[in-house]
Amino acid sequence: MRALLLAALLLCTGVLQAETVDELEARLGALRPVNGSFIQEKHLRALPQPLTSTGLFELTPEHGLLWQVRSPLQQDYRIDDSGISRLTPQGWQEQPGRDAAAHQSRLFLSLLRGDRKRLEENFEVLYKGDDNAWQVELLPRSSLMRQVFTRISVEGSEHVERIELFETQGDRTLLRLTSQYR
Amino acid sequence: MSSRTEHLPTWWTASFLAALLGLLLLTAWQWRDGAPISANLLELLPGHSSDALQEQAEQRMQEPLNRDLALLVWHPQNQQTLALTAALAAELEGSGLYERVQWQLQPDLAAVREQLLAGRLALLGDAEREQLLAQPQVFVEARVQALFDPFSGSPLVPLAQDWFGLAQAIQNHPPQRARIRIDDSGALRIEHQGRDWTLLRARSSASAFDQQQPLLVAAQIAAARSRIEAAGGELLATGGLLYAAHGQQQARQESSLIGGISLLAGIALLLALFRSLRVLAAVLPVLVGVLSGAAACVVLFGQIHVLTLVLGASLIGVTLDFPLHYLSKSWGLQPWRATGALRRVLPGLSLALATNLIGYLALAFTPFPALTQVAIFSAAGLLGAFFCTLCLVPRLLNAPLRPWPAAVGFAERWLAGRERLLGRIGTPWLLGALLLFCTGGVLQLNFKDDLRQWIAAAPDLQHQAEQIGEIVGYQPTSQFLLVRAADEEALLGLERQVRDTLDQLVAEQRLGGYQALSQLLASPERQKELAAGLSRLAQHTDALLALGVEQHALEAEIAQLQALPVVDIEQALAGPLGEAWRPLWLGSDAQRGVASIVSLQGRIDSPALEQLAAGHEGVQLVDRPAQLNRLFAQTQIEAAELKLIACVLILALLWLPFGLRGALRCLSIPLLAALAALASLGWLGQPLTLFALFGLLLVTAIGVDYAILMRESIAGRAVSLLGTLLAAITTWLSFGLLALSQTPAVSSFGLAVSLGLLFSFLLAPWAASRQEAPSC
Repeated sequence: MRALLLAALLLCTGVLQAETVDELEARLGALRPVNGSFIQEKHLRALPQPLTSTGLFELTPEHGLLWQVRSPLQQDYRIDDSGISRLTPQGWQEQPGRDAAAHQSRLFLSLLRGDRKRLEENFEVLYKGDDNAWQVELLPRSSLMRQVFTRISVEGSEHVERIELFETQGDRTLLRLTSQYR
Repeated sequence: MSSRTEHLPTWWTASFLAALLGLLLLTAWQWRDGAPISANLLELLPGHSSDALQEQAEQRMQEPLNRDLALLVWHPQNQQTLALTAALAAELEGSGLYERVQWQLQPDLAAVREQLLAGRLALLGDAEREQLLAQPQVFVEARVQALFDPFSGSPLVPLAQDWFGLAQAIQNHPPQRARIRIDDSGALRIEHQGRDWTLLRARSSASAFDQQQPLLVAAQIAAARSRIEAAGGELLATGGLLYAAHGQQQARQESSLIGGISLLAGIALLLALFRSLRVLAAVLPVLVGVLSGAAACVVLFGQIHVLTLVLGASLIGVTLDFPLHYLSKSWGLQPWRATGALRRVLPGLSLALATNLIGYLALAFTPFPALTQVAIFSAAGLLGAFFCTLCLVPRLLNAPLRPWPAAVGFAERWLAGRERLLGRIGTPWLLGALLLFCTGGVLQLNFKDDLRQWIAAAPDLQHQAEQIGEIVGYQPTSQFLLVRAADEEALLGLERQVRDTLDQLVAEQRLGGYQALSQLLASPERQKELAAGLSRLAQHTDALLALGVEQHALEAEIAQLQALPVVDIEQALAGPLGEAWRPLWLGSDAQRGVASIVSLQGRIDSPALEQLAAGHEGVQLVDRPAQLNRLFAQTQIEAAELKLIACVLILALLWLPFGLRGALRCLSIPLLAALAALASLGWLGQPLTLFALFGLLLVTAIGVDYAILMRESIAGRAVSLLGTLLAAITTWLSFGLLALSQTPAVSSFGLAVSLGLLFSFLLAPWAASRQEAPSC
């Protein structure tokens, strides 16, 4: 769930700032394939240093999100209409918990299509800043989600640059992205 | 001709009226809380198990089928789906018909966390358990990889308490992967073919005495459906209650239709033939009969089953025959006096009552409570109608009757035509032809019985149930495996052996799925085995140490895991993760050991499971439908025996007035008619069901009436034939209408009886041999 939220946010922040329908459509019209690199830091209370992994990502409206972890180990993930898959020597294999994941990924694709309403159903959304340096704070509405994490903060300018997710138990995950349009 | 005026003893009428008043009061009291009508199929089925444990298990598995309602709601807009579901849930809750309505879950994550920690050795899945024991290094590497995995999900147990990831493995690989998920609002959701449904489950309150409940539930669901559809949404519903309501409605409709038409047609016939409003008094026995039958059923069984009501509606045609016995004599015995005619026909009427009673009561000795009820209903109804015919009706029909004269002319022409036919072709030839017809037909018969014939066809409900089964991926059945063993170790071990075959059947699509306790937890020995195997894990911790985890933290966790107490079945079930498994545990007992249920889902290959159970000591397949279908087949023989006994009794009864020859002659007619009806079913390509067989049992009893009427030939053969025809028409009306029933068993019964009675009527003139002078 956490990861999907990150991915969803990655895609939808452009949409999030759109204040009017016209503006929204304009932004969606400008939606182009994006690729870039990421650094993920998992700050776990129990470990002295964060678990850091880096890799590449590629995002297209047609094929969804390709997430390639390159260090410290190599692993490719794909998120599309059918859920999350992992690349194995036997080819792409769907992750267990498929049905819930499939749903989440559809939520994520609906976000891609500009369904801001859907995100606001699940989060209280706070906007700050302007187009050049903006910040969005997401607070989960449901008590189930609140049992898992307290808030998510997203920052960026032209692209999303930084996503930080705070878990209820004190762990947090920081994702830094460098993106460019293809 | 006699024109003696005889009077009905006043005390007959008086005591009958007193009894009738009592009957009315009894009925009023019985119906004080609404109609005592039941539609529960199980009440009609024979033989509960003598094995207490099996019975307990059956009740456990049957209860949700009878009481639970599963509803799916969908709307193109998600927000609306939730709003519609919430409104529906509020309405169900407000109605007071349910003890539990659930569509949202707020899982207690703290409790789940606690169970995960305590059950790490017990609840770990088979694949991870085997990997940990066989390849500890691979296990640890996979754990490290999962830590970096951005898509591994949020662990409930913090890393510091779960370095080796056992708790997370249990969390990520639940023993049964359900399609149902809990969405962010806590609602139960299922995504299927692009539609995101909400699931609402309701358990009706256990009010066994409230027969109205299914109807109220069905009406509520129907109203909700139209509301949701008007809003642009969709509702799917399934549950035993809805089937029960459908059965009740169907039966009420059918019984009032069959009863109404046959009563109205009977009245029209009476009015047309006797041309006097007074003759309507002949309808009284019918009403008294139905009333007595219903009252007797409620007294003996506490309620009337809908199937009895439908089959019982046919009693109208039979009871109308009683007054017709003497009414029809008005064609020959003029001037006609009810009491005088009654005196003349009383012996025949009594014989008719006795034979009918024998026929119906024979049904009571079948092992089917359904038929016992029909028998009691009908026997009581016949007695009530008989006494009404005897004690009340003649007093109301005190004036002379002038029936339509042309009718008797028709009967005379019919008889003359028959004589001419017999002149050309002798009886032996006709008999030979009939027997040839019978042989040909009987050879084509095929016996077919299935429990489904007992249920009114409900294609719409069936369709919804199938859709829900497909969406939820789970179709509960009443079939299950009952597993017994000496202790938990043996029980879970036995289950695991059985599951190997079950997995294979699932893979071959011969079984939809199953659920077993051994999927949830490992046996005590396997828990200990895992604890011992953890020692080897300590030598393969390099990958974890590389992350900065301290060696002593890992050692402490291993020590802590090894110190975990063994989790037994009851402890595993007590936690939130065990909730779905709780119905499967039948508990332990000092004498019998322990027992569990392995529930079976979807389509079931009974023979394969039977074979599986036979191959494992302590495993038993409980499959009521298959068991009942076997019982149907066994009962064929019993039906034949009952038929024989009924015939001997009727023969003994007829011996006295008609002598052995006459009695045999009278009896051979309905027997031959039953045989011809059987053959007709064969020629028509209709399967012979157990109900049809029982219908033919009844033909023997009713058909013998026609023979008696013809044999006695009071007031001449033509008048007697006319009386027989009238009696036959009214009876056909009611049984013929049964053939239109939506319930295959009922329609098969109606068809068999109608055919039998048709042949009984055609053959009846042979009851009086030409040599013997009519006793007019």
